[in-house]
Amino acid sequence: MSLKSTVSIAAVAVVACAAATGAFAQDRYKPPVAELEDYVRDAMPPGISVQHSDVDGPVFVDSRGHTLYTWPLDRLRNGDAGEQKGKPTCDDTKYTENSGLMSPYPPGLILPDLDTRPTCIQVWPALLAPEGAKEVGKWTVVEGPKGRKQWAYDGFAVYTSVLDTKPGTVNGATRREQRGDAPALRKPIGPTPNHPPAFAVKTVATGRLLTNHVGFSIYTWDGDQANKSNCDAKCLKDWAPVQAPQTAQAQGEWGVIERSPGVKQWTYRTHPVYTRVQDRRFRSLEGGDMPGWHNVYTQKNPEPPKEFTVQDSRIGQVLADKNGMTVYVYQCGDDALDQLACDHPSNTQAYRLAICGNGDPALCNRTFAYVPAPANVKINNLIWGTSWINPTTGHAAKPNEPGALHVWTFRDRPIYTHGGDHKPGDANGDAWGEFNGYRNGWKAFWLRDDFLSNAG
Amino acid sequence: MHRFSAKALLACVLAASTSLATGTASAAADTASALPATVKNGTIGFVITHRYWAVHQSPEGKVECPNGYNDGPREQFKQQFPEDGAKRTLMDTQLMREGRQWHPTTAEEPFTFKDAGGKVSYGMNLDGKVKDSDFTSPDGAKGIDNQLYRAIGCISNYRAPEGTIYHFENEFMRRYNNNRFLIELSGVDSLVNDADVTVKSYRGLDNLLTDATGASFIPGGTQRIDNRFGKFVQSTWKGKIVDGVLITEAADVTIPASATFDASAFHVLKGARFQLKLTGERAEGVIAGYTPVDAFIHHLNTSWSTHHQSYGQLSSPSLYRAMHRLADGYPDDKGQMTAISSAMSVQMVQVYVDHPPQTVAEMNGAAPAPVQPSRE
Repeated sequence: MSLKSTVSIAAVAVVACAAATGAFAQDRYKPPVAELEDYVRDAMPPGISVQHSDVDGPVFVDSRGHTLYTWPLDRLRNGDAGEQKGKPTCDDTKYTENSGLMSPYPPGLILPDLDTRPTCIQVWPALLAPEGAKEVGKWTVVEGPKGRKQWAYDGFAVYTSVLDTKPGTVNGATRREQRGDAPALRKPIGPTPNHPPAFAVKTVATGRLLTNHVGFSIYTWDGDQANKSNCDAKCLKDWAPVQAPQTAQAQGEWGVIERSPGVKQWTYRTHPVYTRVQDRRFRSLEGGDMPGWHNVYTQKNPEPPKEFTVQDSRIGQVLADKNGMTVYVYQCGDDALDQLACDHPSNTQAYRLAICGNGDPALCNRTFAYVPAPANVKINNLIWGTSWINPTTGHAAKPNEPGALHVWTFRDRPIYTHGGDHKPGDANGDAWGEFNGYRNGWKAFWLRDDFLSNAG
Repeated sequence: MHRFSAKALLACVLAASTSLATGTASAAADTASALPATVKNGTIGFVITHRYWAVHQSPEGKVECPNGYNDGPREQFKQQFPEDGAKRTLMDTQLMREGRQWHPTTAEEPFTFKDAGGKVSYGMNLDGKVKDSDFTSPDGAKGIDNQLYRAIGCISNYRAPEGTIYHFENEFMRRYNNNRFLIELSGVDSLVNDADVTVKSYRGLDNLLTDATGASFIPGGTQRIDNRFGKFVQSTWKGKIVDGVLITEAADVTIPASATFDASAFHVLKGARFQLKLTGERAEGVIAGYTPVDAFIHHLNTSWSTHHQSYGQLSSPSLYRAMHRLADGYPDDKGQMTAISSAMSVQMVQVYVDHPPQTVAEMNGAAPAPVQPSRE
């Protein structure tokens, strides 16, 4: 099966699925990339379907096309936060004090901006199950606070995010992966990627990366032909064909070739696939540096706007502005029991202002400056965007409001450069903030990390 | 602009005595000058396996810290905000303190900082002078410049063996290859006495070689050089080997020194020089130089959160004040010192240094060609 026909079938399947839900078929979003990730078509409750997203792969959405999330329990410094399976806790409690789940600060401190602080359920509306809802597959019905019946997936109660307003946005997610002392995060949920058990798909900074089931990157080679490997004895010293079992069958985008009598090899989108003998770490991109060899993505991220550049820095490969200065993302979660995010312009700015400016907006804007966006910029995807920001308050501003800045956003949040960077390749704003920037601070917009996991 | 000339520094360095307890140089001088087998074509490499800010300790710190050790964030928080039943806001407490963590000042604070006292310290005579503020090394060398020791000597985090930073900086240095720091000596005719050698530093890409226990580092490993993302580590020194001790001139160096949580921090030493006792299998001694105060605090805060600093009673804003007060090098335009004399005690094992082709084209035997960064 050709790649083109595979994609077409997948697209048809998505549309058919949407039509079956009778919902937002005309509003469906298609990321502007060559190939979309295929997924396993498991049964879903009525009104729930699958929508491709820009960087998070296929995600479950409700009847409006809004992305669905769960909030799995997570271990923090001084206790757990999040939800256990079958036990939703997100409710209309307005928390007024920190919980002391993070060290070294004690509990009982009055949270900032209480007059505008929302409740958990205001920010994360539950996906309610109708009367008589029938459980199907991993989809079950659980009882939440005040007796509400809501859908759960794999046991975890399901929610939508008020930050998602149209199909294809995943603005309730803030990070690619939870790490360090990040808050207990809400995570988008989606269907299982459609691949043989020998493989896996992982969200990394550049797309949905295909690996073997252990975690080592999968590669393809320009020297091969469709469904034919030309990797000879010399080539095989560096590249290991991913062998398929004798009983393996072609399915969807996956095929099987016999590279030599009795030795079968997997193909993906007609390309024979390999691992790299010298890869020492999971999800490596180093093999892609070899001429003619490529990492494999089930779906790549949309390209950043053309005003951005990619730089080799001392920390790895990073996204940079047009002048080559490293770009940063801000992330923040408060320490109340509901672990609400504080990284969006609609949230309190008290946390951000403390870290970037000791409470002083002017200092803040020098330490981490918004990245200005040109007027009338055209963007063909949903992960990148622009926004008007009041640089004094950090909140959204009206277009062309006096003093307001028109800035670039990623996942509906401003991105920044760092005042401590003086030349391309500097990355001195990385890990700036509470708990290495994971709890309340900045991380570089990593694209590639040859040593650690900053790029996924 | 440094206030000392390079010539003066070299004269100072060559006159300086080894101040770490690395054994006597005369023992090396007595050995045969035949080159060990690990010296190939006049080159030999060493990779760091142990790296500590040099802190000279008396039993229980009674000599250098007669008034005890410093307080950390938890103790200062309790002093600042006593448990008196008052309701306090996050803004006025946690966020105020975190803001000052990231934007420290030299303004007076309500906490007492305890400098390390005493007259003995590891380090080197960096300025060629013997001043009142200087230390004497454990083996009697005068004029030791190590004001960083005064600043951190009474902070538990930096003290052996229980200090969190003392322990874990080394644990993470060994665990994460982005921290791999190695030197390669070239032009080596003898490891006992050689009037002219060149030392270059690199970031390596490979794991350290250990024995079967995994706890001891053994010579003979190989380190590939990181010529792509690791160029910031590369520096060059001229030096000499005198009675088995490598002594170099001064050069600036950046040493990768990330902690965990995917951090990406580094130490900076301006005017850094090596004083290392060499064998064909190991090197041990000191790297001394001037640490820019802001770079030190940047490393501290981006590596170790307030929570982790609390483990060892380390208040970053208090240390910032102390370091600026004690800073003794690299004055700015207003004459304010921006860097502080310091020393790292280090141990290294011999490695073979692999210089890989710098471009993919070179790997294939073709002429070098520019490689465009991947946008993948």
